Order: sequence, then structure tokens, then C-alpha cells
Amino acid sequence: MPLRPAAGLLALALTLPALAACGSDSSGASPGEPQNLTVWLMKDTATDEFVADFEAEFERDHPEYTLTIQIQEWDGITEKVTGALASTDPPDVIEVGNTQVAQYAASGGVSDLSEKVDELGGEDWLPGLAEPGAVDGRQYGIPFYAANRVVIYRTDLFEARGVTPPRTRDEWLAATARLNQGGVQGIYLPGQNWYVLAGFVWDEGGDLAVRDGQEWRGALGTPEALAGADFYRRLQALGKGPKDSDEAKPQQTDVVARGDVAQFIAVPGAAKLVTAANPELEGKLGFFPIPGKTPDEPGAVFTGGSDLVVPAASGRQDGAYAVVAALAGERWQVELARTMNYVPNRTSLADAVQDDPGAAAMAEGAANGHATPNSPNWTAVEARNPIKEFLTKVLTGADPEAAADEADAVIAAALNTAE
Amino acid sequence: MTGRLIRNLSALFVFVVSVFPVYWMVLTAFKPAREIQAETPTFWPSALTVEHFATAVRAQGFWSFWRNSLLVAGSAVLLSLVVALLAAYAVARLRWRGRRGFILMVFVAQMTPWEALLIPMYVIARDTGMLDTLAMLTLVYFMITLPFTIVTLRNFLAAVPVELEEAAQVDGCDRPAAFRRVVLPLLAPGLLATSLFGFITAWNEFAFANLLIIKDQDDRTLPVWLSSFSNTFGTDWGATMAASTLFMLPVLAIFLVLQGKVTAGITGGAVKG
Amino acid sequence: MVLTHQAPPAGAPPAARPSSAPGQRRRGALWPYLLVAPTLLATAYLLVYPLLRNVIISFQHFGMGELIRGGAAFAGLDNYTAVLTDPEFWSVVRRTALFTATNVVLIMVLSTVVALLVVRLGRAMRLLVLGGLVLTWATPMIAATTVFEWMFQSQLGVVNWVLVELGFEQFRGHTWFADGPQTFGILVVLIVWQSVPFAALTLYAAMTTVPHELYEAARIDGASGGRAFRSITFPILRPMFGLVTCLEVIWVGKAFVQIWVISEGGPGRATTTLPVYAYQIAQSLHRYDLGAVVSMLMVLLLALALLFYFRHMFREEART
Repeated sequence: MPLRPAAGLLALALTLPALAACGSDSSGASPGEPQNLTVWLMKDTATDEFVADFEAEFERDHPEYTLTIQIQEWDGITEKVTGALASTDPPDVIEVGNTQVAQYAASGGVSDLSEKVDELGGEDWLPGLAEPGAVDGRQYGIPFYAANRVVIYRTDLFEARGVTPPRTRDEWLAATARLNQGGVQGIYLPGQNWYVLAGFVWDEGGDLAVRDGQEWRGALGTPEALAGADFYRRLQALGKGPKDSDEAKPQQTDVVARGDVAQFIAVPGAAKLVTAANPELEGKLGFFPIPGKTPDEPGAVFTGGSDLVVPAASGRQDGAYAVVAALAGERWQVELARTMNYVPNRTSLADAVQDDPGAAAMAEGAANGHATPNSPNWTAVEARNPIKEFLTKVLTGADPEAAADEADAVIAAALNTAE
Repeated sequence: MTGRLIRNLSALFVFVVSVFPVYWMVLTAFKPAREIQAETPTFWPSALTVEHFATAVRAQGFWSFWRNSLLVAGSAVLLSLVVALLAAYAVARLRWRGRRGFILMVFVAQMTPWEALLIPMYVIARDTGMLDTLAMLTLVYFMITLPFTIVTLRNFLAAVPVELEEAAQVDGCDRPAAFRRVVLPLLAPGLLATSLFGFITAWNEFAFANLLIIKDQDDRTLPVWLSSFSNTFGTDWGATMAASTLFMLPVLAIFLVLQGKVTAGITGGAVKG
Repeated sequence: MVLTHQAPPAGAPPAARPSSAPGQRRRGALWPYLLVAPTLLATAYLLVYPLLRNVIISFQHFGMGELIRGGAAFAGLDNYTAVLTDPEFWSVVRRTALFTATNVVLIMVLSTVVALLVVRLGRAMRLLVLGGLVLTWATPMIAATTVFEWMFQSQLGVVNWVLVELGFEQFRGHTWFADGPQTFGILVVLIVWQSVPFAALTLYAAMTTVPHELYEAARIDGASGGRAFRSITFPILRPMFGLVTCLEVIWVGKAFVQIWVISEGGPGRATTTLPVYAYQIAQSLHRYDLGAVVSMLMVLLLALALLFYFRHMFREEART
């Protein structure tokens, strides 16, 4: 055993300068033999059938390639993607969250696909996906799919209490208060669902952070953001959501499946998980866009979703692009949106999902979609999420302004970290 | 009599406190999903279900996770036992210049915050073409467990009376033979006990497993599997608890077999200094 | 570890322990070095070398871009100045010290008590308690941590339910993880719970090796239980207490997974200890350079904290 490290050490000493993480072109397959492409999709991005169909059809259309789609777990994904980008033989296409794509784009480890934008129909990409994928006017991340939150409600409980889906915030509070009695939770809203808070803040005209020249400032202490947080507090109180936890702990679809929750906020796909956990609720779940301040405009929502990136170190750039072009193209976009209740990456494809009630509610809300502050460092804010802690403090009775100031300081420190 | 009652009651208390979380884990693994989310917890399920275990076992690559974990943890422990045994012998039985420095090094090595070495380790693996290999992971786990193994084995060795070894030497064995025939059998429980600790450490490790195995999915290990019951919507508690229960079984099995030897061995040495 | 080959201070270890074989020195001129060679080689390549790389990183501007593209620029002492002048770093150091001290004291006291208790139990009860401890010890860290998190959930957690059932109505929906000191407390409970089995089992086994006659004699002299512990058990087992304490200090000081899974160092900074801090900086902010600085300082601080133990250990070594 001591031999191997020793040999490695020697090899390292000899080759260190040459190996400094440059792109490899090592995997040039001999002509005639298909190149193997590896694609990383996140867990739950697509169904197994979708993946299998895509693999089969891609290999049929491109006999010069074989395709392996690997499904990645969420835990430790940032480290993993960073490690992949820095490696000499990375996967050829990686799906990354749209709040994370900026840091990878800025790192220099991702191929610049600006010249392909027109070819991919970039003129009507969703801005919430396209903007975070661009740095200094160059496009690194290619929009993949989007989803935003809607209110999922129990049609039977609404009917029993004589409530109809609200169009404004005031109606929403009143309706929720009426639902919230007799062993029924008006709404299940965990205390740390900061995406929902972001929407309320944008409704008030505020933001999570603002850029002041080169400096970022946290903006939770602004009157607009505090008003948004106050609305969150009033709404959250109309149910039994845990104040110190988010929608994942416990998994909110499981809580709703118990049957005593009248509404919750999630992407439409969550409804399937509820009915899977409790088949009795089949056909009893409806959707409406998050209400705004006035009936004319739905509430602002965070546009969540993913971009596709091609690691610069991949030795199979052409093949990688072929995969990106297929996944971002109309055929598979429509297929994916239909299977998964997503918003397709182009506004012109939105019609494809109009017949699904969840997707329809989502599309209505998407009109007022927003993105998180566009900084490569935004991931750092999410990693230590001060916004969640701010919410918990507000909900447990602390002074909102003081809590906001603390969170703002953390946000500013993270965003202003030098690259 | 009252003294005995108090002692037994305290013992019962210690037992309940130490076992309850484990009980809760196993119980949750067997509870129907609806009962896990119930507002009034049940301490004995109305109906047992194995659906969570089914979910856990159905995970893609289930068997390769087990094979890899057993392989990596096993080889790391074996390697570290052999290497540590040699070093422990030198420290416990021989006098040489640099011995104290060596002991100090072993202790300092034990303090290494391994999470902090993720990036350097990654760079080294990448630059030597060792990324995506179970061998690299094995080497890392070997190094993580080596210092503790040396410290403990040294104690075990010190507990074996040196006179036994000398007697064998007088009988015409050379030193290695004396060691093999006399010391090693006496040391066996100690070796097993020490290996257990190393095994647990390697068995549990996530960060390196996540960063050093990048593209080769067939090389992933169990802790990665444990984290796979979370999705965009949250964590499947039932499946996570079922997976944790399965995850714990091999360790528990080895423990039950070795328990007595583990503690007896560790102590034997340390008390003698 | 250059230290390894340093000559020990003059006059250090006496020729051999009284029990050692005569002529050992002559014969063992090369032997010991051959025996430790694999350890040294492995340590050099798998520990010292990465540590050196870490040190180099700590003197560079090294972020995600540098990791991917290479070509990190030399930064001099900038990173060290940045960390050492950051008041946050020092408050993390103080918190780590408090966290480690609280845990280790609790672990040592509780495991001593448990060990003393087990010694005095009848066979059935002893097996029960030992079995419970072994079960706890065998529980994988990740699994145990997940269970604790689940038990302290505010709405569905069993802890709140039990407290409410016991009549503490204020714990209905109590939000443990919203409060810094409470989260800190839960982590202490978790780590103590995980650590006591090892310490207690080891101490128990050590206690059983104390010759029974000593206690008999003490009892005849009319010594109380406490007195017997102070004058017999503790002195005999002192090296054992020393070793276990030392190991616990190292393990608790480095504890990372439990804290990261439960609180990620929050709320606020309430549970950010040094390893968590280093990880946050390195992996969340992608400032691998600053993370390297923090981790190097952490090794130094741990070594400093255990200096006393090392000196003591070497004195004992020299005595034997």
C-alpha cells in the first residue's frame, strides 16, 4: 500500500503544473464508436419514464452518442457540482437550480453558449431562468423549466364553509379565518417558507436585497419588507404550521394528507404527493394563484426552476450541446411540462399546459414572477439562510425591525464576499 | 434494601434514556405514514407496516451501496489494523529515538478536522487521477481511523505481559515468530474491538463520499443512500428511519458479538499505562 | 510532521522499562523505524501533504474560480489578518470552548456515575444497562441525529407531547430550534447521549480491574463510598480518565455532523462552533482560503487545549 501513494506523489510532483484543471480532450473516441455522454438531472426533475424515453429517442436521433442520465440527490449538491466542474472528466450536461447557476457561470468552469441563444429560441425565454444564467451579457445557463407556487386547497372544505377562492389578500385572510375552526387548519404555512415571504415582499414593492453601486444591502429592514413579513405573520397564525421549521420538515404534503388542512402553498406537483399519501383526497384538491393586493394582479411569486450548463472541461462539447438543444427544445419541453406540471422555458410554449388546472393557476401567477437577487453569492445567503431565522423571530414575537437588521447584516456580508 | 431499589431504579432510568431514541427510530420505521404525522404520538403502533423498508430497499443501486460501503469500510479497517499494529508494537515494546515525537504526531493526527481537508484532498485525488475510485475513499478512511487504531492497539499491546514474549524467545523463536505465536492470539480481541471503531467511522462518512465519487454512480456508498429520501418537497421520515435501522444493523451485529472484548481490551492497556 | 525525527531531549527515555528484554536496544537499532515506516509514509501522503496543501491555500486567494480554473494568486497574510481581526471568529472560538467544556464535563461526570452504578448492579440489571449503552453506541451518528431532530419538532415532536402530557402546557407547539440557547442545549444532550456509552463502558471495564481487596480494606477502615472513590478508584484509574477525557475533548471539539444536520450553526450564530464555521466559509461562501485558515487555527487551538495532557503523558512516559 505505501507504494501507491509514493508513486502518486512522484507523478504529482512531475505533472502538477500541467494538470492545473484545464479542460481535457482525453475522451476522443475512435471514429465509428459512439461517444458516451453523461447528463445530471436532479431528483424529481422528471419521471423515470421521461428519462427512459428521452434517452432512447436521443440515441436514435444521434447514433454517434450513447446517453447516460444520472439522477442527483439534493444533499451536498453544491459541493458535488463544484467538484464536477473542477474535475478533468466531468459530466457533459448538468442541471442546476436557477438561484445557483450564477455562481457557476461566474466561476469560469462553464461553457459560454451565447452564440447558440438564437438557435435555442432565446428571445422568449422566461427571464427568471435566462437572467441568472447570464453574466456580463454572456449566456452560460440555458433555461430548462420553471415552476412557481400556487395555493392548493381542499374544494370540499371550501364548499362546506361556503368559501370561494379569494382574489385579494384581504379576501384571503377572511376566507382562511373562516376555514380555521372546528379542528380544521385554515392554512398550513410553516414558519420558514421564505419563498412565500419573498412574494409578499415583492407585492409591497420591496426586495430581499438591493444593489447600491458595487455594494449589496439586505433589504428586509425596509418598510415594504416589514409589511410583507407582517402579512406572513397574520396568515401563518391561521393554522398550526411550525414556526421554527420549513416546508420540508416535516414534509408538508404529508401533513396535508392527514386531512385537516384547508390550504397550503406549494408548486402544483405537490398535490400528487398528497393524494398518493392519502387517496381519499383524490379529486378534492383545487388550485388558485396566490392572491395579490388587488384583484387585477395575482400575488408576486418566486420563479423557481432550473438551467442547464455544460462544464467547460467536458471533452464532448458538441454532444453536450446536442443534449441541451434537445432538452430545451419544443418537443421535450412540452413533454416535460405536461408530465411534471412545469412552466416550459419559453413563454410561447405556455399553451401546452393550459388544460391542467394546477398548471393554469401557476401560469396565471407566473405573470408576476420574480427572481432572487442576481448575484453569484446568492447561494451563500441561502446556505445560511438568515431570512428563515428572521421569519421565525417575527413569528415568535421578537421585534421585527431588530430581527431584520440582523438578517440584513448577514445578507450583506454574504453578498459582498469578494469572488 | 432501599439502596438497592434506588440503584435499580436509576439503572432503569439510564436504560430508558439511552434506548428511547433508538426505539423511536425503529418504531417510526414500522409505523404507517399517517401515524408518523399524527399529532398524538403512539408509543406502540396500531398496525405495523414494512412499506418504509420496501421504499428503502427499492432505492436504485441499493445493493451496490451496501457492497461499496462494506468494501470501503472493511478494507480501510483492515489496512489500518495492519499498519497500526506495526507502529503500536514499535511504540509499546521498543525504545528508539523519536518515539515521543511519533506519539505526539499520532495524537495531533487524531485532531485533524477532516471536513477542512475536503478541498485539498479533492485536488490531490483529481491531480493523481484518483477521483471516482473507491481506492481513494478507502485511503482517506484508512487515514481517518489510523491514529485512533494506533493509540488503542498500543494500549492493548501494553497489556500483554512482555514476559510471555520473552519466554517464547528463550524457547528459540525469533522476535516476529514470538509475536505471531504468543502476542497475536492474545491481541485478537483487541484487534477486533479496535476495528469496530474504525468501521463505524468509515461506515458513517458522507462528505468525502459525496465529493470524491463524482461521476461513477456505481461507486456511491450508504450514507449517500441515507440522504436520498429527501426530495424537493421534504424528507420521507418513515423511509429515512427504515433506512437508518437497516444501516445500523451490521454495526449492531458486530457490537453484540464483540462487546465484552471491546471494553475489556481498551481498559486492560490503559490502566497499566 | 518534522517532529518525528527530532531527537528527544537529552537524557530522555531511560534505557528500557524494567520489564523489557535485555539487549533490546542493540538489536532494535533499525526495527522500530521499519515498523513505523508505513504509518509515517501514509501520514505523509494522506495527512501531512493535504495539510500542506491546505496551508498553501490559506496563503492564496482561493475561491470556486481558482478551484475550477487553477492559477490561485499568492495572498500573503491577508487571509490570516481577515480571520484574526474578525470579532466573529473570536466569538466562535469562545463558543467552541464553552461547547466543548460543557459536553466533556457532562460526559465525564455522567459516565463515571453510570460506570459506578453498573459496578454495583445485580447481573440482570447490569446486562440491561450495558445492553442499552451498546445499542446507543452502535447507532450511526447520522441516524441518531435525525431521530433527535424529529423528536424535538415543534408540532409533531414526541418531546413536546410528553411535556404537555406532564402538565407543562407552555410546551404545546414549543419552538425549540427558534431559540439559540435551547438549540445549543439540544445539541449538548445529543452529543452527551452519543458519547456517554463509550466513556461509561470504558470506565466500567476499567473499574472492574481494580482489585476487590482494596475496597474490602477500605470498608474495614470505615471509608464511605465517596471516600473509596476518591482514594482508591480515581487514583488507580487516573490514566484512563486522562485518556478518555482527552479523546472526548478531541471528538467534541471536532463535532460537525450533528450540528450541521440539526441547526447548520444557527439560529443566528448560536451553535456555530469552529468546524461548522470553517465549513460554512469554505463550502457555502466558497472561500476555501479563509476556510483553510480557520481549520489550521483550529488544530492549533485544540493542540493548545491538550498541551497540559500531553505534558502529563510524556512525564508518565518518562517515568516508566
